[in-house]
Amino acid sequence: MADYDLIIIGSGPAGMTASIYAARANLSVLMLDKLAPGGQIINTNEIQNYTGMGTINGAELAIQMFQHTQELQVAFDYKTVREVKVEDGLKTVFCEEDDAVYTAYAVILCTGTRPRMLGVEHETRYAGNGISWCAICDGAACRGKDVVVVGGGNSAVEESIYLAEIVKSLTIVTMFDLTADPIACDKLRGMENVKIYPYQDVLDFYGEKKLGGIHFKSTETGEENRVACDQVFEYIGLTPTTECFKDLGILNEMGYVKVDAQMATEIPGIFGAGDCVTKNLRQVITACADGAIAAQSAARYVQGMK
Amino acid sequence: MLREVTEDEFRQSVNEGLVLADFFSSTCGPCKMLSFVLADVEKVCGEKVNIMKVDFDKNKKLVEEYEVSGYPTLILMRDGAELKRMSGLQQKPAIIRMIEEA
Repeated sequence: MADYDLIIIGSGPAGMTASIYAARANLSVLMLDKLAPGGQIINTNEIQNYTGMGTINGAELAIQMFQHTQELQVAFDYKTVREVKVEDGLKTVFCEEDDAVYTAYAVILCTGTRPRMLGVEHETRYAGNGISWCAICDGAACRGKDVVVVGGGNSAVEESIYLAEIVKSLTIVTMFDLTADPIACDKLRGMENVKIYPYQDVLDFYGEKKLGGIHFKSTETGEENRVACDQVFEYIGLTPTTECFKDLGILNEMGYVKVDAQMATEIPGIFGAGDCVTKNLRQVITACADGAIAAQSAARYVQGMK
Repeated sequence: MLREVTEDEFRQSVNEGLVLADFFSSTCGPCKMLSFVLADVEKVCGEKVNIMKVDFDKNKKLVEEYEVSGYPTLILMRDGAELKRMSGLQQKPAIIRMIEEA
């Protein structure tokens, strides 16, 4: 006899939507998250493409979604999942906090992604003290200062446009050229206090007690530059948070969970949803859709097990 | 008790017993979620610790005095002396453990 019909690992939009659909299917549900509900959307200042919401702050959307799960009395706990094991159809979820262990007939993996780091010298030294991965967290404190953004994709360019309007100077350092939507790239290029260095490798960060600047080299000419700055924001992509599932044999070479159209993995009773699965479009709305489909699939599976 | 404080209110209370200061930015999503987590922390530890939220924009002197450089930042103090500091959104169990070990 399992503790729950369904355990959902991760409480971002995918996990929360899955919990709503599962609860409405009369499954007993436990949703776990190592931090707080919301996942990546809490780092987004304005979400403008979630149908019906117009423009909404990411954290506020996360709180509204969570309140919806609580109206259905979905059980939630703050736990870091260390491992999931399967034996005779029963899924056992092992957590770091207090060595907590839970069992369920089905599990949905909704652990999402996290920002990628450069991995260069002194990056961890200045992380949280000069280097940030969240412009809406730390951007307001950069008013009138010199700031660097590393990255040239959609997130980097969008956050740069936001930052350029409040900082004194904005320097973009990117591995290729800007690769975001052309309209956004043109807008950024046209901003007077913005300077862009394309085709660069970041070598290291320097400074004393606080970050002093960034050191990088052109991949085309070999020319090295040092730019003094008060703050660096890194927007160089995301990596799936799926290390704890590596022994299940359901990840692809990039670490994403392989699922079919029903969000099912190769292991009966284990499903995936949201940014951590193999997919083309990672948006809030597609994460929610995944969660709904995974929950329906899980409900059919659990009903077959009981 | 979890509440947002002014600089004067902060200074009146910071030297009395165990205090957890939450320095936040009003535009910051992780700061909003940390408030959400702290509301749960208060249910467990509310009698043991005074949780004070400090808006960085309205309290620049405090930000400079406590050398806060990112948001959110939690600073745990006893009778005004800093015991421990955490940067970024934190897990509820980690915050509770920090308070209970103080």
